[in-house]
Amino acid sequence: MSNKQIDEGLKQWEELYSKSLPNDKPRTNRSNIKIKPIYTPNDWDSDRYMEDLGFPGEEPMARGIYPTMHRGQTWSQRQLVGLATPELYNTRVKQMIANGANALSMIPCNSVYRGLDVDLVDPVLLGTCGITINTVGDMAKCLKDIPIDKMSIGLNDPIPFTMLAQVLAHAKNINVPWNKLTGTSNQSDYISHYVANHMFFRLALKGSRRVQMDEISFLRDNCPGWNPVSVVGQHMQQAGATPAEAMGLTLSTAIQYGNDCVERGMLPDSFLPRFTFFFDISISYFEEIAKFRAGRRVWARITKERFGAKDPRSSRFKFHCQTSGVDLTRVQPLNNIARVAIQGIAGILGGCQSMHTDGYDEALSCPTEEAALISVATQNILKDEAGLTDVIDALGGSYYLETLTNQMEEEIEATISRIDAAGGMFLAVESGLVQGIIGESAMAHQEKVDSGEHKIVGVNAYVPDEDDASNRKVQPWPDQNIMAKHIEDFCSFKENRDDAAVQRSLDKLSEAAKSDNQNVYEQVVQATINNATQGEIITRLRDELGFGNPLINA
Amino acid sequence: MKAKNDDKPWLVRLLNGERTVLAKAISALENETDEASTIISGIYPYIGKALVVGFTGSPGVGKSTLVNSYIAGLCEEGLRVGVIAVDPSSPLSGGAILGDRIRMAAHEHLENVFIRSLASRCHVGGLSRATARIVDVMDAAGMDVVVIETVGAGQSEVEIAEIAHTKVVVCSPGLGDDIQAIKAGILEIADILVVNKCDLPLAAHTVRQLKSMLSLRDESPEWSTPVVSTSALEGTGVVELTEIIKNHEKMSSNKKEGYGKGKPQQRVLRLLANSAADEIKKALLQDKSEEISTICDAVLKGEMIFSDAIQRLIKGSLPCKQ
Amino acid sequence: MIEEKTTKEAFKPRVLVTKIGLDGHDRGSRIIAAWLRDAGMEVIYTAPWQEISTVVKLVQEEDVDVIGLSSLATDHLLVPKLMTALSEVGYQHVKVVVGGIVPDADELMLLDAGVSKVFHTGSAKNDVIEAIGALANKARNSSSSITFN
Ligand SMILES: Nc1nc2c(ncn2[C@@H]2O[C@H](COP(=O)(O)OP(=O)(O)OP(=O)(O)O)[C@@H](O)[C@H]2O)c(=O)[nH]1
Ligand SMILES: [Mg+2]
Repeated sequence: MSNKQIDEGLKQWEELYSKSLPNDKPRTNRSNIKIKPIYTPNDWDSDRYMEDLGFPGEEPMARGIYPTMHRGQTWSQRQLVGLATPELYNTRVKQMIANGANALSMIPCNSVYRGLDVDLVDPVLLGTCGITINTVGDMAKCLKDIPIDKMSIGLNDPIPFTMLAQVLAHAKNINVPWNKLTGTSNQSDYISHYVANHMFFRLALKGSRRVQMDEISFLRDNCPGWNPVSVVGQHMQQAGATPAEAMGLTLSTAIQYGNDCVERGMLPDSFLPRFTFFFDISISYFEEIAKFRAGRRVWARITKERFGAKDPRSSRFKFHCQTSGVDLTRVQPLNNIARVAIQGIAGILGGCQSMHTDGYDEALSCPTEEAALISVATQNILKDEAGLTDVIDALGGSYYLETLTNQMEEEIEATISRIDAAGGMFLAVESGLVQGIIGESAMAHQEKVDSGEHKIVGVNAYVPDEDDASNRKVQPWPDQNIMAKHIEDFCSFKENRDDAAVQRSLDKLSEAAKSDNQNVYEQVVQATINNATQGEIITRLRDELGFGNPLINA
Repeated sequence: MKAKNDDKPWLVRLLNGERTVLAKAISALENETDEASTIISGIYPYIGKALVVGFTGSPGVGKSTLVNSYIAGLCEEGLRVGVIAVDPSSPLSGGAILGDRIRMAAHEHLENVFIRSLASRCHVGGLSRATARIVDVMDAAGMDVVVIETVGAGQSEVEIAEIAHTKVVVCSPGLGDDIQAIKAGILEIADILVVNKCDLPLAAHTVRQLKSMLSLRDESPEWSTPVVSTSALEGTGVVELTEIIKNHEKMSSNKKEGYGKGKPQQRVLRLLANSAADEIKKALLQDKSEEISTICDAVLKGEMIFSDAIQRLIKGSLPCKQ
Repeated sequence: MIEEKTTKEAFKPRVLVTKIGLDGHDRGSRIIAAWLRDAGMEVIYTAPWQEISTVVKLVQEEDVDVIGLSSLATDHLLVPKLMTALSEVGYQHVKVVVGGIVPDADELMLLDAGVSKVFHTGSAKNDVIEAIGALANKARNSSSSITFN
């Protein structure tokens, strides 16, 4: 069809359209991109096919990072599991393995995120959302009878990576060589914690920067199958960044980490293949798919142009994604099953490597077992029933999606340029620029919700007469007796260890933190092997490197 | 300070430094309730002990963070510290988010520290209208040092000069506009200039810039304004700053006249003058007498010059004199 | 006094927006703080992770009328302890509201402990503002405040 025919047809259609819809309001997506009512070859033409799309596993990577994508291997279904005590976790995980799971995932209690041992926290708060895990002894209980050399392990383990140190110490104790371990430090992104997730324990920015680099270089030399970096865009989007901003800020963070590694004398192709990413999937369906496709292109370009990567593995944008809890409603919670399914499809069509789907009741409480099972089933339905994995990048070539992917790419690049202009992500975070961007977008989104421009079913549209969320089953809080027993165990663990060895290794840790050239992470691992608790380790590091108060711009 | 036998119970409790009484008294003063003048008259016999230090400077230069590090040293010395942190009110809604305290969290829990956040309530001059009185009530409640952090609007900060004994003007490195603002006004009031965030690049340059600007200024014989670099985040330079504030205090309390710790007369005089001015204004505006309109007409026609008219209004025609 | 007096009607509610416990997600508290400011209230805003004793001291020093606590994980479980601490110092007139993710059973527990209101995620702006404004008025009027005479 010639362009002329298209132009004429479009003109006719536009007349018809505006006659029938005289009051059609302009629409924008969450990233503030204007959305037209129709897209045609005038917006995106397959002439641009090789330039914009190419083939899966090849530049420019729009269609996926591997030649076979989900036809070869579907994404890993990484449901975060966190139960109150190590024993409970172990029981649950063994069940899951019996049911065919081949990857582990651990989410610790909030007290662990804050760097506090169980004896320092009000017991009512313990184990409410994850495992209370403070020592190598706790880790041994979590992983009892589990072949850790055959399972990929995902740890929600922020700086200074004490859970990973516990895994390494446990492996040593049971004679599993470290080079047999595989897995990912899912929360190894201090920048994202600093700007957008104030759950996590943090060292001051500078200290975090150092410990993260020490971890990367230690693992590269000692545990090469481990992914030491997962750059977390999820927190920023949850905190209010638009999808395009979240992607741009995440890539800027990755650039910062990459530059820091280079400064440490590491070669890009030695660390980039182990960089991974972690994103939020909102319910803005096409926008999310475009976000992932555009992100893949931008990252491939960054690795080549900025880092001079030669190894194709360096340019692969491996990402885990999680359906967004922010989009879930407390009202009519079963509706969330539909929302999670739609978010999940966006993750799959966006080409994810790994996914977590939320429980429908997450706006009510920590997920119940029933909700957790439904969310696993949702993934299975999407994977095995819906035919979503039959075709690679199934929506590729859609005029709309390709246009949107290009536009998202521009927005992402604009954010990256803004951060570049501020001197890179580290400085942009230190100065509060990033927090400002996120805060403004959060307010803007909230205003759209308040005004009803952004509709949420059950909240500002189709509001039910009665709040039917009441009397719904929620996850009960941990049994206080079980918790008391756990605290007792913790105390006797501390009593029965070699105190002198603990003190010696903690002193060495402080010394390493004071020095400029010793590897702090190596000492974190050593101290853990010597039975130091995570609270003790973190206290030492806080003393030496400072506590990272969140930057709060009121 | 010790209460007298006939003092009212609230005053005794206030003088004992009871936190809740102090807080309620501040609210009464801030809201100018009926009780405010009782409080003022009650406390005046007991003021004049505290050192009042003002921190001013453009938004975001690190005033709150610096106050936090400054009071750390004071607490170690066992001093009682009151902090008044003023943040701007929204001109649209009249509401405010008071966030200075966030950066002072290190001392929040200490018994010796009392922090009060105030909204400017659209009072110009970088303070809230009641600030001077709130300083007095903190003084009476036994604070050894009262620290005031201003809004940080830049140029209109001169009001702090009337309240604080020692004025610390804070700026941060490499901000061209900031320097302009300082040039334009608040340099005049600075007893001490601080270049904060000296951990950032360009700090030394800013220090040089400020020093050369100061060299153009007439120095008083007793005090030549020092430029201190600090990093409130890392704690560098804060001990030095504390020392200099002490020296300034010594210098100004050695001076016979003027304004300083232990010399509340000046403070009361200013307060009286301000209030008297308000009173005169109100009286004049309400005055419908012949004479007033004659004076106004004369000024309008150009028959009487402005300064003469003022003299006549004050000396001759003031209705409240009767 | 010379200046015009502030009438009781013109009084500006003072609201402490804070977080106790372990979680530090502040998106909710920031939005609430901005809403209240735009409604003409004075908001004292703190970092997360406040100790209960610090909150009590802050309430006293800042003479607040309402405490707004945001809780997205499980930190609301500590609120009864805050209520006890407030009444121990005679500040039971200060109203406490909790916003965020609170399971129903816990909502009842909180109301029993003396919390005035629980706002769930998705609460409408105007509802929040109105409720807090009304509570602030109530608190001011029922405050057994010291009389200065
Ligand atoms: N690098 C560096 N940053 C600092 C220093 N002091 C303060 N900051 C940072 O500067 C930002 C603003 O600090 P504040 O103390 O809130 O500044 P302020 O002048 O009180 O701000 P306003 O009250 O809003 O006018 C915060 O992010 C501080 O962490 C410092 O010495 N070095
Ligand atoms: Mg401040």
